[in-house]
Amino acid sequence: MAEEAGKEFLRELEKEMKARGYSRRDFLKVVSAMGASAFLAACGAQRRPQTEEGMAAAGTPVAGSTPTRAPSAAQPTPQVKVEWPSAEALGLKWPKTAVPEPKSKVEISVAHAWDAVFWTRQVEFDKLFMQRHPNIVVKAENTPWGDFLQKYVAQAAGGTMPDVMYVHFSWAQQLIQQGAIIPLDDFIAQQDDFNIDDFTKPSLVSYRKDGKLYCVPYDEGPGILYYNKDIFDKAKIDYPSDDWTLQDLKEVAIKLTQGEGPKKQFGFANTPSPGDATMAPAYLFPFGAQYVSEPNEDKCLITQPVAIDTMEWWMELRLKYGATPSPADLETLTWPAIQFGRIAMQLDGSWATPVINANAKFKWDVAKWPKGPKKHSTFSAGSGYAITKDSKNTDAAWIYLNEYLSTAGQIFMWASTGRGSPARNSAWPAYLSSKYAPPSAKIIQESLNEFASHAILDKPTAAQVTQRAGAVWDRVINGKLSVREGLFQVCREISPILARNRE
Amino acid sequence: MQIALGRGLAFRRHKGTMSRSARREELEFYLFISPWLIGFLLFGAGPIVASALISFTDWSLLSSPHWIGIENYRRLVQDPLFYKALVNTIYFGAGSVILGVIVSFLLALLLNQKVWGMPLFRTIFYLPSVVAGIATALLWVNIFHPDFGMINYVLGLFGIQGPGWLQSEEWVIPALIIMSVWGAGNTMVIYLAGLQNIPEHLYEAAAIDGAGAWSKFWHVTVPMISPVIFFNLVTGFIASLQAFVLILVMTNGGPADASLVYGLYIYRQAFEYFDMGYASALAWVLFVLIILITALQFKFAQRWVYYEGDIRG
Repeated sequence: MAEEAGKEFLRELEKEMKARGYSRRDFLKVVSAMGASAFLAACGAQRRPQTEEGMAAAGTPVAGSTPTRAPSAAQPTPQVKVEWPSAEALGLKWPKTAVPEPKSKVEISVAHAWDAVFWTRQVEFDKLFMQRHPNIVVKAENTPWGDFLQKYVAQAAGGTMPDVMYVHFSWAQQLIQQGAIIPLDDFIAQQDDFNIDDFTKPSLVSYRKDGKLYCVPYDEGPGILYYNKDIFDKAKIDYPSDDWTLQDLKEVAIKLTQGEGPKKQFGFANTPSPGDATMAPAYLFPFGAQYVSEPNEDKCLITQPVAIDTMEWWMELRLKYGATPSPADLETLTWPAIQFGRIAMQLDGSWATPVINANAKFKWDVAKWPKGPKKHSTFSAGSGYAITKDSKNTDAAWIYLNEYLSTAGQIFMWASTGRGSPARNSAWPAYLSSKYAPPSAKIIQESLNEFASHAILDKPTAAQVTQRAGAVWDRVINGKLSVREGLFQVCREISPILARNRE
Repeated sequence: MQIALGRGLAFRRHKGTMSRSARREELEFYLFISPWLIGFLLFGAGPIVASALISFTDWSLLSSPHWIGIENYRRLVQDPLFYKALVNTIYFGAGSVILGVIVSFLLALLLNQKVWGMPLFRTIFYLPSVVAGIATALLWVNIFHPDFGMINYVLGLFGIQGPGWLQSEEWVIPALIIMSVWGAGNTMVIYLAGLQNIPEHLYEAAAIDGAGAWSKFWHVTVPMISPVIFFNLVTGFIASLQAFVLILVMTNGGPADASLVYGLYIYRQAFEYFDMGYASALAWVLFVLIILITALQFKFAQRWVYYEGDIRG
């Protein structure tokens, strides 16, 4: 059938070219060019690794690692058609905010950073909110994540920040230190049913300073182990379980690494790097090692013998066994890399589940991050919302924030839609019973409450620290520095920057 | 610009001696340039002056600026990354401009021939310059893949070991230079226009004097097109010293700061480290550097750029 279709196409092409005055010779030239292109494309698909140096540069054990730069800013938009339950279907009970309702119409602006699909849920929430509060007009703004901070920092300079804005954990301390967002304790104190204990333990860490709370988190997700069940089934290896240790993870990752070239299958997606702000809890703490001193983050500790041994152990995955993708490979595998079906396991935040859910064409599930010889630990991180210093309607802004981040709000926005990891424990049952949650989603809440740590780099110096550390680590990955030399150089680079956290 | 200014100066008269029609012409001149002038004063000059003042402050954008005098400039002198970014930028700038000029000029020469299908070829060579920047970046990331990218594949066919390109500290800037030539279509069109304006009688005269193809090229084509080459050199250098977006997308300054260019460093200081004062100081140093390089280019242009008539660049 394909052959017939091809012949028909060529007949039509010849007819069209004749009608436009081209000769048969011209037609043959065009067809030859098309054939040559198809041949080259076919050759490309079967391309094998080129030369030893190319292989070394690309991804054999000498070179490569997870990129030290941040993953692509905007999340890929899930392609699946979603049918989220309505507020009535969920039977939500919205809280009554202690702050009085505005007596006349006020407008509040709320800045978000959602993808196009989730934006529809946001619009629905705002519509329901305005029905409940006829005197509050919500003007919502949506900005791609990658541009968000730049845009609103510029607005801060102009004194035109929105009333309420999304805050990523990595920006929070900077915004707090500079006075860009206001403390919420007075509002919380008036709200009897706010129930601060309902929030998962790690979720509030990045948003506190000097005993005050500046943001209310909407999510806090632990690092969990995503795994491709099809790859495990094909290799006849048991799935990761609660009993797994990091040694088991490493051994299985090496076993599941096979093939070469563009179709190579990797056992594990990640290579730990000091350029990653969330590295320490998952890769170092389980071995009794540390990256920087906590909670002040003012001293580099990664040159301690236990840390060096730990990093050398992890880096074998890349440098000795080639079990993780090189930077070159990762350029073609957008986040999260596991969604393309070539990676057996990946450590990532629970916020990756919607993307993998939407895009993975294989069976997959999640498991707890395995335990190390000294400790069971993984990272946790999240985002929240804050009221900014430029807000002229802080009461109305608080009414919005209180409902948006109440149990009902978190169920509506994040639990029932499968976005996952709501910051409130009371919203978790709704997430676990949602059809969008992965089969083993309960391990996410267990991880969060049992062993997830928010001891990640989140001070205002974090961006500079990770940038400098990552630049050094590039040289380790490319084989120009040993792991030990690299770690000492990292400490030399970042120590002066960390010292500023003492001021 | 120098020529235009020169002519302007040559025709300037004292207002008291201007005729009515001359005064009217002058008014029309200011009226025609007023949209640009107003836009520049409102959206250009203001921010430029503000940035100069900001360079003497410590300002995070999120709170009020604090005056710190020349502290940012002192810090800049001691900043190793400033020098690294500067060297990388000049390396990239020089390489991309020189290669760009050569490639686009040669392309223009080829596309100036009387060959069947020339409009199609001109379109094909121009098309890459209209492709969106991010798409270009993603395309070239794949082309430069050390293992199965197209370039290393072709090199492998000839038994040549391909380098790591964007993953290699030594090859990342050459890779970016090669990528920058992809957009040669814009400058090629300018050369093409210049070539088509070379009077035919000059070639005829050269032929009569016994000049061969090379002599005609070197003694007629190149001198006649030298103002266009000069224009492209000046504008090309100014643009490449400010290159930033594609490098941010493709390498983010890596590996190991090997592709950290000046524009990217300014962006990082301003919007990732929240240090607008230092970023402004860096920007002003770049401005001075661009002015110096441009001035040097104009100075040396007198030796090799030829204009019709007596006025020289």
